[in-house]
Amino acid sequence: MINWLQVLMNSIVWGCMYMLATVGLSLSYGLSRFPNFAHAEYITFGAYMAFLFLVVSNLDIYLAVGLAVVLSAFMGGLSYLILFKPLKSRGASLVHLMVSSIGLGFLIRHFLMQTFGGGIQSFRIVWPTISIGPIVTTPLLLAILIVALVIAFSLHILLTKTKLGKAIRATADNPELAAASGIDLNKVSLFTWSLGAALAGFSGIFLAMRSSLVPLIGWKVLLQTFAITLLGGVGSFYGVLIASFILGLSENVGVVILTWLGLSADYRSAVAFIILVATLILKPEGLMAVAKRRA
Amino acid sequence: MADPLMYLLDAVAYAGIFGILSISLNFEYGYTNLANFGKVAFFMIGAYVTAIMSSLKYPFIVNSILAILITGVIGVLTSLPALRLKEDFLAITMITLGEVMKLIIKNEEWLAGGVWGISGIAPAIVIPGLTFRERLIIQIALIYGILIACYFICELIVKSPYGRVLKTIREDELIASTYGKNVFKYKVQVFAVGSAMSGLAGGLFAQYIGTVNPYMFEPTVTFAIWMMVILGGPANNLGAILGAFMVEGFQRSSRLLKDYLNLPLDPVNLQVMLTAILVITVVFYRPQGLLKEKIKPYEGSLHKIIASKFMEVKSWIRRS
Repeated sequence: MINWLQVLMNSIVWGCMYMLATVGLSLSYGLSRFPNFAHAEYITFGAYMAFLFLVVSNLDIYLAVGLAVVLSAFMGGLSYLILFKPLKSRGASLVHLMVSSIGLGFLIRHFLMQTFGGGIQSFRIVWPTISIGPIVTTPLLLAILIVALVIAFSLHILLTKTKLGKAIRATADNPELAAASGIDLNKVSLFTWSLGAALAGFSGIFLAMRSSLVPLIGWKVLLQTFAITLLGGVGSFYGVLIASFILGLSENVGVVILTWLGLSADYRSAVAFIILVATLILKPEGLMAVAKRRA
Repeated sequence: MADPLMYLLDAVAYAGIFGILSISLNFEYGYTNLANFGKVAFFMIGAYVTAIMSSLKYPFIVNSILAILITGVIGVLTSLPALRLKEDFLAITMITLGEVMKLIIKNEEWLAGGVWGISGIAPAIVIPGLTFRERLIIQIALIYGILIACYFICELIVKSPYGRVLKTIREDELIASTYGKNVFKYKVQVFAVGSAMSGLAGGLFAQYIGTVNPYMFEPTVTFAIWMMVILGGPANNLGAILGAFMVEGFQRSSRLLKDYLNLPLDPVNLQVMLTAILVITVVFYRPQGLLKEKIKPYEGSLHKIIASKFMEVKSWIRRS
């Protein structure tokens, strides 16, 4: 007997984590017009920074997480300022931008592996289980849920109500027009890259706390983040929101089906690949592009 | 490493195998601007097809033909959804394909030995009673024979009218389709040839090493191949081979350097970090690679060539 409520709960939690991991990728992709393959390593970076502050330096958990998120933001901003902005201003081609983003990703990951070792690390926190009706959960999963909802809501406010958010959307829509109306493209890009990396770092901390910390923690969700980005429509925040829950749900239902078929549950990431390919065949512009055109 | 000559010969053999991969990527990226970030997937499939067929006691010729066919077909099938779109979509599809392929090979133990892989793959040419060194030299002869064949096939294709269509597609797809060329068809054909060539390289790799496992085919391999093409010079096959030698030499020497200097660094980490820094530097300061594409070679008088070279140097200095 499958506990479908539990499956739904897991799907929502995974959807929240994917949402945090992907928002930055999608926004920076829409803004700078190239997929940043180093985004997965911001996830890893955030997780390792939290590990550094929490386990190695033994700080308070809120302080450690806050510092790690700030450092991730710093990392994202720095990689834009030092690497991608000069490359773009030199007129580097799309392929060169992608290659250097892969290079940056490897640089970050292997730097972390060198510093912290390539083995499995743990946050050494034991979460008590809470039962709500038929659903079994932990305080961590509830925290993920609340944090993701708060962040999603504040991002919605940011993008629709503030000047900065409107500037981000305008730049993603048409950079030349945005620049002509007096929007500072550099400031907008820097902010978006930092914000995206911060959220990615946040998701990395949650991912690592949920199970364990390995150097490949970010690379393992690379496939999912790109599937969500394309499914939602590149650069669309609401697209990411919808697509991450679609992916969370289909992965968790997929695991149920896989165990029923007697296949390994490792194939859950193949679900994301199927979604990615199906999106490219059926709707390459993503879900939200459709909504936009109708509006 | 007891015998320095063996180490050198091993490096030469590796450079030859990667030279084939580098030529195949050059064919896809350098001439047609297809960003294939999943080279390692086709390399892996080729290696595994050869390994599985070899364990069923088939000769190398049969194995490699099968490897070429299977990787070609998989290349076409997986690239179809992305080829009509921009190059970043192809890049995303291919980079994720590598992960999915590895997932299948790790999980299907009945097919490919799971995480343990397959060992005891017979070498392509077995002559009894040879020393280890002589066998290595035969291997190198085989690898370089195939490398040279691949080089000439690619040169023939890109110097033909067909190759000029490819270069037009690279520069501007719209122009190519205006002249009535089916851009999509050309792209699919190029992808098939490139993937098949990587499959062949995978087969050579499997019979050379004698064992395959999923951990040999990390995304860093794809990155190394890209490094070779970008460093050597896109759209220049000699450059691609030169790049393969340089990257292989660079990676080996960074490993040796670590041993001699006794640095407190993991050799793999050091190697990957240095490669990443090198590729970023090349993209920054020499995006056209070491050897440039030859456009209209040996035309015009000597002073024109010198003048154009001078302008090149000047513009390069200004940019860096």
